[in-house]
Amino acid sequence: MLKNLLTLLLLFISMSTSYTKDYKFFPFKTHEVVLENGFKAILIPVGNSGLVSYYSVVRTGSRDEWEEGKSGFAHFFEHMMFRGTDRFPGNVYDSIITSIGANANAYTSDDLTVYHLNFASDNLALVMDLESDRFRNLKYSKEQFQTESGAVYGEYRKGRTSPWSVAVEELREKAFDKHTYKHTTIGFERDIKDMPNLYDYSVSFYNRYYRPSNVTLVVVGDFDVEKTKELVTKYYTPWKPGYTEPKIEKEPAQTAPRFRQVNYDGKTLPLVIVGFKTDEFRAKDKNFVSTISFADLAFGETSDIYKKLVLNEQKVQFISANPGMNRDPYMFEIYTMIKDEKDIDYVTGEINKVIETYKSTKVEQDKLERLKKQKKYSFLMALDSPDAVASMLPQYITLANNIDVIDDLTGTMMNLSPDDIQKAVKLYFTENNRNTVVLKGTK
Amino acid sequence: MSGLIYGFDEKKTVTIVDKTDPTVSVRIWFKAGAMDDPAGKEGLANLTAQMLTEGGTAKKTYEQVIDNLYPMAAYYAANASMEMTVFYGRVHKDNLEDYLAMFFEQLLTPGFRDEDFARIKQNNLNYLKTTLKYSNDEELGKAVLYNNIFNNTPYGHIVSGTISGLDKITLNDVKEFYTKYFNKNNFVLGIGGDIDDKLVQRVWEKLNQLPAGVENNFKDFPTPKISGKNVTIIEKKASATAISIGFPVSFLRGSRDWYALAIANSYLGEHRNSSSHLYQVIREQRGLNYGDYSYIENFPNGGRLQLPPQNVARNKQIFEIWIRPVPNETRHFSLRAALRELKILVDNGLTKDQFELTRKFLKNYVLNFATTTNERVAYALDDKFYNISPGHLQNFREMMDELTLEAVNAAIKKHLQYDNMEIAFITQDANGLKDALVKDTVSPISYSTPKSMEILEEDKSIISFPVKIKAENIKIKKVEELFN
Repeated sequence: MLKNLLTLLLLFISMSTSYTKDYKFFPFKTHEVVLENGFKAILIPVGNSGLVSYYSVVRTGSRDEWEEGKSGFAHFFEHMMFRGTDRFPGNVYDSIITSIGANANAYTSDDLTVYHLNFASDNLALVMDLESDRFRNLKYSKEQFQTESGAVYGEYRKGRTSPWSVAVEELREKAFDKHTYKHTTIGFERDIKDMPNLYDYSVSFYNRYYRPSNVTLVVVGDFDVEKTKELVTKYYTPWKPGYTEPKIEKEPAQTAPRFRQVNYDGKTLPLVIVGFKTDEFRAKDKNFVSTISFADLAFGETSDIYKKLVLNEQKVQFISANPGMNRDPYMFEIYTMIKDEKDIDYVTGEINKVIETYKSTKVEQDKLERLKKQKKYSFLMALDSPDAVASMLPQYITLANNIDVIDDLTGTMMNLSPDDIQKAVKLYFTENNRNTVVLKGTK
Repeated sequence: MSGLIYGFDEKKTVTIVDKTDPTVSVRIWFKAGAMDDPAGKEGLANLTAQMLTEGGTAKKTYEQVIDNLYPMAAYYAANASMEMTVFYGRVHKDNLEDYLAMFFEQLLTPGFRDEDFARIKQNNLNYLKTTLKYSNDEELGKAVLYNNIFNNTPYGHIVSGTISGLDKITLNDVKEFYTKYFNKNNFVLGIGGDIDDKLVQRVWEKLNQLPAGVENNFKDFPTPKISGKNVTIIEKKASATAISIGFPVSFLRGSRDWYALAIANSYLGEHRNSSSHLYQVIREQRGLNYGDYSYIENFPNGGRLQLPPQNVARNKQIFEIWIRPVPNETRHFSLRAALRELKILVDNGLTKDQFELTRKFLKNYVLNFATTTNERVAYALDDKFYNISPGHLQNFREMMDELTLEAVNAAIKKHLQYDNMEIAFITQDANGLKDALVKDTVSPISYSTPKSMEILEEDKSIISFPVKIKAENIKIKKVEELFN
């Protein structure tokens, strides 16, 4: 019996796995630990700065707010994570973080919530104790919960003075019928107002999503790999599994172009956002990866439309595009701010012309090669501190649950041909996939 | 660095050698800024900086410049602040030669084309006329605060300038400003990364091709005196109220008092950090807004940046409190809560515990301030500005061990106060606020959520905390009247 128990125990220990990886494009060696409960840590020793960046990536964001009336909850919950546990109540947690001089913060977006700290390497064990504790044992009173909802409402008010937040909110509302991307991360105002009443819901939110298989830890900087692996095993193994999948409805295919005009209650230059429905992030799919390159080729600083509308005709203050890399199908978005209201139709016409040109004419090989070189160097130059390296990874972790995907994505991108780009533009940039929001201010 | 060649001035060079960094960072600080804007042409320093890096060169249009830089994923930019303009950039060492060629072509032979000028000027006008006035009340509040404090001094307008000033600026003004200030006797070079003496010398040779001219040293002016509490209420339609508070101070980075007050200030309002006491009182305990902070140095882009910016050094600084937008009905209460905390700090100083925790915090926290070569180069330039050796961040850490509670509390008493200040509100119903401030009416507060007895007890002293503002010290302005 005892022998069996020992075997079982050994089996249990050996079920946590650990391996080292080298990549073709990502310039650092990584060490991964996967615990039996599904928790994963990615350890990347970089430099000798005496500093460590510590990122806890929760693969839950506003996408996971599938229940009616709960928009904005993932972000709100991010605030609650600073309210402490029995062992380290909020004020104790704060004073420890303060005493070690950590630079700590958090953010939430469509698909993820990230908690990050930068601090002196000597404090790694202490931070791991603190962080694992709040992920496993968070506890807050109803009163604390309700007070924090006021701060979230304040954050909403702060952001609301920008016409862009209004335009983006309207675009999503118009473009999506079923999927939770219908709302922004901050959420609908009516839901934010209702937050103080949702204490019980918040407990269930924590129990469903803050589970080991849904969280990945990234440690980058100056630390000892073997000792850190031991710390990870010690502090995160007791965390009980129990992740529950959100019930997100699939967005039906869009069948006609959509348009919304927004009258903004304040002064602003007119804004236009055009969003084309695309796919979920697919690192090895040439069609999807082509949209990332297309954003730069067609709407970046060296694009023809930028030269025409920004530099030569000077009709727009700026124009840019975001390909949208999401877990579920989202949109490729083109943003512009127009100097004169009378040019709105002209500018949207020019945007459509660019798209039609890319459908009928292949991009020059040389232009594509210059883009590939640009992508390579912008990636390498972005890695200039432990925090810069760490901060790049959460997006990929949430999309693919690993960072191998960076190499996959880069590999696909480096192999794109002018044919691939043309094919993708024809595939996604159709009339039926288009959503347009035009926002005008008061005179 | 050694090996002097013609024109290489070690006193005007800072280098950060890091052989593990695959990039090279170059930052050239020119001694000119918004305080050098000619009267009636406010915004010229900023516009000139932008013309240098967001326009073409003599040989290349801006389109061609962008095309050249694009495959390197490198950039350069120029940033003007009150006294400094920094022309800076960074590149991967694989592309160093091509990059330096572009960098110096731009700096030495700017294009100053009409079409670039029209575009950049228009963007700056749009920023003042629309963006700043109508889409970011927090930045607006800070701009009003600084303009009021430094009214009628060379610091009397924000770096972006004024609408009438920008309107009057001609391309010729830009050329004159460039020739006068971007000269070979008026800069300090900062360079870092995988560099050697030869590279530094080559950069110097290029810089020696700048026009001849004189060094533009800081021209001192009397620090404005504020008597009493002066309030400016900017009236606009707003569902929330942004508040900024401040007064000039006389200590600068590098002095012992600065480090002492860095401890006091960090306790009261560390930027975007929950250790800020103001944050605890207004946001954490009462949920009135998103954050509340204080400063002893100018901190532009506070809404975006987590850590202090570099190369915005200046000889005149203010002590500043930033209250992020609060619901309109709590604006009077929030002002009281902030001023009450300031008074408690000035009257009582820090406790032993507060002092110990804060100095421990700062000693480690400043490690985060310069983690990249580019940031280290920027800090080294600021050290030149403030005449600090061996370096601010190193001294900062040492001072955290050296300073005593008594020294910190003495510095608080010497430099901080709560009677004389400028206060800026961005809000609606300005007359209602004015009336409440003049009558010093009680500002009761109710919460939609339950609060502890301790907080409710403290509220009793906040709601009637005397702020005492005279009617003649309150100005109401329409947002349309600003920056004209």
